[in-house]
Amino acid sequence: MVQVNNTPITLRVKFFKVGNLQYISHLDLVRTMMKVIVRAKLPLWYTEGFNPKPKITFAAPLSIGTESMCEFMDIRLTEKISPAVAMERLNANMTAEMQAVDAYYPDEKMTALKWLAYEITVNTKGADEALATKCNEALSLEELPILKKTKSGEALVNIKPLIKSATAELRGEKIAVSCILSADSSAFLNPEYVVKVLREKCGILASEDLTSESYAIMRTNAYKENMSIFR
Amino acid sequence: MQNNKNISSVLKSVSKPGRYIGGEYNSIIKDKNDVKCRFAFAFPDSYEIGMSNLGVRILYDVLNKEKDIWCERVYAPWPDMIQKMREYDIPLTAVESGDAVKDFDLVGFSLQYELCYTTALVMLELSGIPIYSKDRKETDPIIIAGGPCVYNAEPVADFFDLINVGEGEEVLVEISRLYVEMKEDGSYTRSAFLRRASKIEGVYIPAFYDVSYNESGTIKEYRPIYDDVPTKIKKRIIADLDTVSYPEKLIMPYIETVHDRIVLEVYRGCIRGCRFCQAGMVYRPIREKSPETLCKAAKCLYENTGYEEISLISLSISDYSRLRELTDGLLKWTDDAHVSLSLPSLRLDSFSEELMQKISSVRTGGLTFAPEAGTQRLRDVINKNVTEDDLRRSVGIAFKGGKNNVKLYFMNGLPTETEEDIVGIANTAKTVVDCYFALPKPERPKGGVSVTISVSCFIPKPFTPFQWEKQDSLEALEEKQKLLKESITDRRIRYTYHDAKVSRVEGILARGDRRLAKAIERVVKNGAVFDAWDEYFDYDRWMSALEEEEIDPDFYTTRGYATDEVLPWDIIDAGVTKEYLLRERNKAYEAKTTPSCAEHCNGCGANKLGGKNVWCK
Repeated sequence: MVQVNNTPITLRVKFFKVGNLQYISHLDLVRTMMKVIVRAKLPLWYTEGFNPKPKITFAAPLSIGTESMCEFMDIRLTEKISPAVAMERLNANMTAEMQAVDAYYPDEKMTALKWLAYEITVNTKGADEALATKCNEALSLEELPILKKTKSGEALVNIKPLIKSATAELRGEKIAVSCILSADSSAFLNPEYVVKVLREKCGILASEDLTSESYAIMRTNAYKENMSIFR
Repeated sequence: MQNNKNISSVLKSVSKPGRYIGGEYNSIIKDKNDVKCRFAFAFPDSYEIGMSNLGVRILYDVLNKEKDIWCERVYAPWPDMIQKMREYDIPLTAVESGDAVKDFDLVGFSLQYELCYTTALVMLELSGIPIYSKDRKETDPIIIAGGPCVYNAEPVADFFDLINVGEGEEVLVEISRLYVEMKEDGSYTRSAFLRRASKIEGVYIPAFYDVSYNESGTIKEYRPIYDDVPTKIKKRIIADLDTVSYPEKLIMPYIETVHDRIVLEVYRGCIRGCRFCQAGMVYRPIREKSPETLCKAAKCLYENTGYEEISLISLSISDYSRLRELTDGLLKWTDDAHVSLSLPSLRLDSFSEELMQKISSVRTGGLTFAPEAGTQRLRDVINKNVTEDDLRRSVGIAFKGGKNNVKLYFMNGLPTETEEDIVGIANTAKTVVDCYFALPKPERPKGGVSVTISVSCFIPKPFTPFQWEKQDSLEALEEKQKLLKESITDRRIRYTYHDAKVSRVEGILARGDRRLAKAIERVVKNGAVFDAWDEYFDYDRWMSALEEEEIDPDFYTTRGYATDEVLPWDIIDAGVTKEYLLRERNKAYEAKTTPSCAEHCNGCGANKLGGKNVWCK
C-alpha cells in the first residue's frame, strides 16, 4: 500500500491493433490494457484515494471497425525501467493482433497529436479508374457538408477543413483512399465520414448484400501540428 | 468467426461484434493434426453470460489438458446476428478455430437454466444439425447435455444423444477418450458409441429408455430397451476437490462480460438443507477444498489474468469450515496487489464484523442477504434457519461499516404461505430501515438508507423436499405480488419481483416430462430464442405452443405431484433419497427445522456417493 514515489513517470507505448481487434471498442481496449499492464508486472503507479487504480491514457480513441498501426498509450510508473524490457513484457501478455512496436519516455504530451493518416480500402462493385477519378473529384470539392453526430443530435457540418489531404486511386480491383484527418480533440474527424462522402456522392458500397461489398480502414501514421511525426 | 464469406460488413452491422471474434488471451489453439477429438462446448446464451460461467471454464481446461482433444467454445449469437446468419447462410462456428459446429465430433451443451432450452435448439438449427437425436446421421456430431438442468432433462431428452448427470470433470474426458478409442479401432458408429458410453457412471442415454404413461397422464414406467443399460442413472461426483483439476488460466474476454473476475470455487454442496433449494440437495455431499489449494490457485490465477477482484464461490461461503484461514491467506498479498475479495453468498446468521472488514475494499456500497420468507413460521417451514435477530444484527454491522444499501431476497408462493407471510416481507424490509434510524446519527452511513427487496416466485424443483408441491397459479402469484406492493409504505424500500409468467414457464420446464419436447420444438419454430431475457420472452407464444400440442400446463404446475407417482426425474439417482425428501416435507408442514450437516447427520443418503468430505461420516 505504501507508495514511495508520489510523482508518476510516464512511459509511452506505441502499438498496433489490427485484424479482428478492430471490433473491440475503446472502452473494452482500456479494460483489456488495465489487465495487460498488471500481468506484465510493470512498476505501476496507483491513483490515490479510496479505490486506487493504475492510470493509463490513450491518444485519439479508435472507433469500432478501424484498424491501426499507430496507437499510443501512456502508462504511469513509479520508477523508470528499460523501455525495451517493458515492451517485451507487455507483448508477452497481449495477443498477436495487438503488439507494442515502440516504448519510450516521451518529450511531449499526447495532446501534441493533431493529425492522423488513414488508408481506406473499398471493395465495391464496379471499381475502375473512372470510379477512382469520381472519388477524387468528390474529395476535392470546396465544401463537404455531412450530417455529423454532435453532442446535441445531428448537424450539417462542413468536414472539408478537417481534411488535410485525401486522394483516391484504383489499387487492384479496389478503390484505395489515402487521407490525413484532424485528430484534434475539439475537431476530431472519424474516417467513417470520408466513406460516407464517397457513399453519398459516388455511389460506392450501394449493394444491400452485406457479403458482396466491404471496406477496411487502417490508421497508419500520426502527426503534430507542423506535420512532423508524432511520437 | 471465420468464414469462406467476407463477413466483415456483417460484423460491422451487428451490435457488439467483439462477441464473435475469439482470439482472447489464454484461449487455446491446437494444431488440428495433433487432435483426434474435436469437442465444442456450447453455451446457450450470449457470449457475455457464457464467458462468466465457472463450469465452462473448468471443463474447457480439463478437456484441453488432454493433448489429442481440442475443446473450443460456442455461444449463441445475439438475435441481430442470428438474423444475419440466416439471411446470408452463415453457419454457427466455434470461437477458437472458426470451424463449423457441424464438423465437430462432440458438442456439449451446458444447461444452466430451463429458459435456455429454446436457445440451445436455435444453436443446433444454425449449425445445420437435426434437433432430434433420432434424426441425426452418422456424420453428425454427438450432442451432449450437462449442467444443473439435467437433474430433470426429460423435457429436452429427445434432443440430446447423451446426458452427463453430475460433475463433468472426469466423465467428459472418459466420453472423449472412448470416442477416440472407437474411432481408432474402427468400431465407431453412433449407436455402438452410445451403447458403450451408457456404461460410464453418470451417463444417461435417453433413447435407451421407453417411457409409458397411465390414463391419468402420469408416468407409468421407464423401461430400458437393452438389458445392459442401468435402470437408474447415478449422478457422478468428484471424490477429492483438492486434487481435481482447476484452471490456472482464465480466458480474458476482450469485451465486458457479466462476471469479469477471478472465481475461486471453495466447496461443493451445502450443509443447510433449505427445503426449496435444488442446488443445496443435488450438489451433495459437501466436499471442501483446502485453504492451501485455494490460496495457491488464487495467486496463480491473479498472475495469469491481472484481475482486481477474487470472488469466493460456494452455496454459502460463511459455512466453509476454514474460512478464516482462507481469507487470512489471501489477504496476505491481495491488499498490496490492490485486489479485492468478494463473498457473494453471505448468510445472515454468520455475518460478522471481521468478515466485513475483509471485504471492505469492495467498491459497492451494499450487501445482499436472503431471508427468503417474511415470517419466522414460514422461514421454519422452508428450513432457512435464520431469525429476525440475525437480520437486525447483520444489517447493524453493515450500517456501522458504512454500507447503506441492503438488498434482500424473498420468495412468493412457498408452500403454506398466507397473507401474513406476504405482509411479513414488507415488515422485514421496514425492520431494516428502522435498524438504520435506530443508530445514533453519527454512526449512520451518509446518504440515507436504501432497502431493495427482490422477490422471486417459488418453483417446486426436482430433488427437493418440495418436489411434490403445487406451484401457485399465475393469478394467485400476481395477487400476492399486488398485496406485497400495497403493504410497502416506506419510500426507502424498493420492490422488484420476477414475472410470474416467466416462473410458470420455468415451472413447466423444470417439472415436465418427454411429452414437452414437441411443444418446445414448436415454440422455437414460432420464433422463441433467448427466453431467459425479458425482452425476448413471450408468454403467449409458450401458451399457444402448449395448446397446439394439447399439453395442459396446469398438469405440471398447479396440480402438484402425488408421492406415489413415478416422477419424470425418478430415472436419475441424485444421491439424496426419496425417503429423506419425504421426511423433510413432513417436517415442513409441522414448521419444524432440521439442523445443518455440521451439527447433525440427517441421513439424506448423499454420503453413499463417497467423496472426501468434512461433515459426512
